[in-house]
Amino acid sequence: MLDRNIILVIPVAKMSEEGNQIEEFEQIDFLKDRHVRFFQRSLQVLPERYSSLETTRLTIVFFALSGLDVLDALHVIDKDNMIEWIYSLQVLPTEDESNMQRCGFRGSSHIGLPYSSKGPGMAHPYDSGHIAMTYTGLASLLLLGDDLSRVNKRACLTGLKALQLEDGSFYAVPEGSENDMRFIYCAACICYMLDDWSGMDIHKAIEYIRRSMSYDNGIGQGAGLESHGGSTFCAVASLRLMGRLEETLSERELDRIRRWCIMRQQTGFHGRPNKPVDTCYSFWVGATLELLDVFQYTNYEKNRNYILSTQDRLVGGFAKWPDSHPDPLHAYFGLCGLSLLGEPELMKVHPALNVTQRAFQHLQQLQQAWRDNVSSCT
Amino acid sequence: QHGRLKIKSTAQQEEEKRKEREKKLKLYVTARDVCFSQRKEGVLDEEALQLTQQLLSSNPDFSTLWNYRREILIAPGDCEEDDVQKIYESELSFVERCLRQNPKSYGSWHHRGWVSARLPRPDWVRELSLCDRCLSLDERNFHCWDYRRVVVRMSGVAVDQELRFTDRLIGSNFSNYSSWHYRSTLLPLLHLESPEPLSPTPQLAKTSPRTNSHRVCEEQLLKEYELVQNAFFTDPNDQSAWFYYRWLLGRAEREEMISCVYVSREEERVAVCFSKPVHAVGLMLVLDGQPQQVEWRSVHPRLRHSPVWVCDLPPATISDIGNEHNLTVHWTENHTHRDCALYTGRSQSWCRDSATDLELFRSELSVEKTSVLQSELQTCNQLQELEPLNKWCLLTIVLLMRALDPLGYEKETGFHAVCLYGDLCSKFIIENTILKMEYAEVRVLPTLCHLDQLLLVTHINLSSNELERLPPQFCMLQCLEVLEADNNSIVDLEGVYQLPKLEEISLKNNKISKIEDLALLASCPKLRSLDLRGNPVTQMANFLSDIAKLLPSVTDLQL
Repeated sequence: MLDRNIILVIPVAKMSEEGNQIEEFEQIDFLKDRHVRFFQRSLQVLPERYSSLETTRLTIVFFALSGLDVLDALHVIDKDNMIEWIYSLQVLPTEDESNMQRCGFRGSSHIGLPYSSKGPGMAHPYDSGHIAMTYTGLASLLLLGDDLSRVNKRACLTGLKALQLEDGSFYAVPEGSENDMRFIYCAACICYMLDDWSGMDIHKAIEYIRRSMSYDNGIGQGAGLESHGGSTFCAVASLRLMGRLEETLSERELDRIRRWCIMRQQTGFHGRPNKPVDTCYSFWVGATLELLDVFQYTNYEKNRNYILSTQDRLVGGFAKWPDSHPDPLHAYFGLCGLSLLGEPELMKVHPALNVTQRAFQHLQQLQQAWRDNVSSCT
Repeated sequence: QHGRLKIKSTAQQEEEKRKEREKKLKLYVTARDVCFSQRKEGVLDEEALQLTQQLLSSNPDFSTLWNYRREILIAPGDCEEDDVQKIYESELSFVERCLRQNPKSYGSWHHRGWVSARLPRPDWVRELSLCDRCLSLDERNFHCWDYRRVVVRMSGVAVDQELRFTDRLIGSNFSNYSSWHYRSTLLPLLHLESPEPLSPTPQLAKTSPRTNSHRVCEEQLLKEYELVQNAFFTDPNDQSAWFYYRWLLGRAEREEMISCVYVSREEERVAVCFSKPVHAVGLMLVLDGQPQQVEWRSVHPRLRHSPVWVCDLPPATISDIGNEHNLTVHWTENHTHRDCALYTGRSQSWCRDSATDLELFRSELSVEKTSVLQSELQTCNQLQELEPLNKWCLLTIVLLMRALDPLGYEKETGFHAVCLYGDLCSKFIIENTILKMEYAEVRVLPTLCHLDQLLLVTHINLSSNELERLPPQFCMLQCLEVLEADNNSIVDLEGVYQLPKLEEISLKNNKISKIEDLALLASCPKLRSLDLRGNPVTQMANFLSDIAKLLPSVTDLQL
């Protein structure tokens, strides 16, 4: 008979918690006004080298608008005008609704359709929404205080559903494009904001996410692909928005992801091992760590110092590296990175939805009103 | 918005640039408008290809245009195969020019993949050489790596050839993280543990996506350990090798399987222990050839992933000690099962890992596993002497010590290992965030190699361990009769929940302060002895009456 009377003495080690990290910072000043002006200019005219981004202009607008929101400076722009312009980018259903599977938002007016911010949609063989534009369009409307009443939700969700592939990932456009984790995140944000998950097959998307977990416990853009800070954020944030994070990943798996992410910090953060640090990863990885409750263990001082070293003291904004040209993307994510660190002059950012907490609360109120409406109708 | 460094330029240079930009802009806008009016009218031809070419050269992420080109290319026509070949080949040259300008364009790489898949006579050697050139410029370009994987898959390149490719890259630069990553996907394919014989040259056909969770045979594993050790001895501060190493060490982990089945007549309960925490769906119990209608549950409601799952049998099914029963637990999801025989005259029975497994590193007591891990630990300790502050090394040492089974050691070395563990902690540098995180959580239970023993443990002594809580995982100890956890800082007894055989608990000198903290003990039906001396709760007013109400069957109460 086996001896079952086993006495086990378990060794346990415990580190004492360190105190609050925001103490004596080297005083690199944060130039709030410069950044406000940087975003203002970005909303007016962009330099020629941005022309290749014309088709994705709405994302740049989102960076500028949300950046101003984080700076608590949205009052400097004409919100109503901006809202009108965003609505003009909505790909609405035609009279006969034959284009429902191509609805959503466009990146800009580059297709050449006449300006119109009201329906019905105009038939055009190659006009269709782009998943990232639909996401940033909705997010921009929200942070501007709009009530989304002119969004054709049914059309957006139909268009979204048409983009999902058998393996659970999404195309960006109905004609086809690359498919990866970025677009799963866009889809999750769209469904979350519209409070309607019929726009995607959650189960398949979750399976895709699980298959994208890599040997080193980071998450890649797809199965068998290299772990990346951006795709890890997209995966974790999507699961959080779906409300399925703890259900999908065991505590052990979550620990492993925490470990991979926390090792991305060098001074600031990089996106993959042995790559140089880049300002935007202070948000991508920082927000992931925040969603996993371990951001507190990072080194705030080094992170802040790096982000501020990429600040452009003349024109405002942030660049990915020091002594480089700033751009709206890095300016926005640099601010978000600082916001995670609790920078005093900045609004708090919702780490999963990537808008200010204020915009997030506005969304919650809207959704409550929608639900009250529904229940009062039935 | 890729990084652009600031470079000052003279006024004249600025002016030249401006003029050139204006020219480009005019051309761009004209071309674009013609292009769209043509597409609208359904004009698909040579001219359209020319125009889109101009536009895409400066704007490779204009996906509509790539789609337009694809429509043109697949438009039906009376084309000989040779003509098609020529058209697609010139397409490849065009994409190559785009890639040279912008090697990170999603649109361009996507299009190249599309074209390659349709080429009547693909030239995979050329595609691989394109990847080589691209990677020599930027060995971390994941677009290029991903495309290379596609090419390899479509052309049926042998796995070991690709492994040699990574050998070359790693050999010239150990810090090539993307190469190590690629290697992690290739290795399990080459040396898959499977009952069927391997084909002579295993190829990278359509494989199941998560091959990194497959196991690797010991021979290959040992060779890999050597390769990795070379890497981290050469540059101990490079992350690549350490990450890969950690993954390799994990390859010795057991797959998900049922490691133990335990059945008790008295509680009329069956407990199943898995080799790692699982969310067990598809568990089926067959008793004496009859499938049973039972509800399986995790041992603790908070554990969705639990190493132990239990179910209760219908009353009087197995309670008669004169009857013999045969049980089988099927785990349909993983196609495994485990049998257990409950003999006459026996009130309980269990069955554990047997020696019939073909897979390696199965039992935690196997000589191979322990010796391999011990030798790895030795190697890391050697490195640690040379590089005492290297955090990667320290982390890996900790990982190895946790993985090694202290019960496999001699008594003395076992305790020595424990002390060394504690020593390492005091060495940790305070601002080392990773190590901080590793120890932020109190770890009660040791590693998975103990799991099938823990289910059967009857006594456990956790005294003097700075514990603050007994977490939900503690519920795994379904056979526990005596719990000693004196001289800790315990406030939380969450894991002492519905332990069916627990009779005695000693919690002297802990920090239990509220009667509510003891509430869960009432869920243990056999509890009769409780020692709470040295806990603040004993000083509360009405403690004696409260505890009598809460735990009426505890007859032996020490305060």
